[in-house]
Amino acid sequence: MENQTRFDLNTAIENWRQELAGQLNLASDDRRELETHLHEAVAGFQQRGLNDEESFWLARRRVGQPEQLAEEFVKADPAAVWRERVFWMAAGALAALFLFTTTTPLIAIIGYCFPSAGKIVDELTLSLMLWVLQIFGITFLIARGNMNLQSPLLASFIKDRFRFAIMTISVLLIAKTFCATIMLWVYVASRNVHGFNGGPFAFIGNYVFASLVLEPVPVAILIWLLPTQNRKTPKRA
Amino acid sequence: MYKTAMLAKDLVAASSKPLVLSILADGESYGYEIIQKVRELSGGHIEWSDGMLYPVLHRLERDGLIDSEWKEADTGRERKYYFLSSDGRKALKTERQQWLAVHNTLSRLWKIKPVSI
Repeated sequence: MENQTRFDLNTAIENWRQELAGQLNLASDDRRELETHLHEAVAGFQQRGLNDEESFWLARRRVGQPEQLAEEFVKADPAAVWRERVFWMAAGALAALFLFTTTTPLIAIIGYCFPSAGKIVDELTLSLMLWVLQIFGITFLIARGNMNLQSPLLASFIKDRFRFAIMTISVLLIAKTFCATIMLWVYVASRNVHGFNGGPFAFIGNYVFASLVLEPVPVAILIWLLPTQNRKTPKRA
Repeated sequence: MYKTAMLAKDLVAASSKPLVLSILADGESYGYEIIQKVRELSGGHIEWSDGMLYPVLHRLERDGLIDSEWKEADTGRERKYYFLSSDGRKALKTERQQWLAVHNTLSRLWKIKPVSI
């Protein structure tokens, strides 16, 4: 009985990729490198006149078994996977802290501009929503642990550590100064803003504490663990 | 046609460093190309399993002997290219002296003409 399904190269490569993604010990950059290699090997066999299916299976065998590969990669750099995981945890923590400190100004603005909306979306609901969102986001990032850092936008952003540090810190500073200014303005403009209890000094105190003490920690971790490919300028022959 | 044995496993491991460094001394390259070059130059005697080259490359990179960069290739797909660093150039010099010392010792024993180091 003939029961042949047509071999689809893209599906086969996608399946192989999934199998590789199941190896939690492989960092995303390693997986990407191996995938590029598989593509090159398949193309190499195709050029020699083999069909898609033969090329794929030969290339797959050449590259090696995913479990075995993971083992070898870990031996070469045992900390690589953890560097990546901690990097994303720090990114999540920073995002959470940032959102947390900007929630209050946001609610104050809503409360000031739309008094009726301010009553509906009260502080508790909004912060709860934001927290749930954050927890989902962080869980997702850690679970995947393989955000594509090579998307063109991110790639230029993380090209080197210095630029990354300057940009992250300036974005944080600008956003924070903006939020703090708005908060003070809203407070001065209306002394009875919905969702904003406690004096400005208590708020500013918390704000400064979070900005100067809490947030620099994940920022420092991020800068330290930044997965740059090119830390030194290559010296070409 | 005569047939010679493939290189023993421990020799493959030991020679991977000078081979990679020497190939990169001629200019940037990527995993697939490095393997092809080794296969070709060794006349098929040195056969690296493809996936095993990357741990070697990553170790050399961690030791600061080579650097890497993702770049778009002519195929439109991105590749991770490796370059020799200045430390790598120094390491290659040392490797070269050591391997030639072994080569010359064996050459004298086997009555083959040694080379100057």
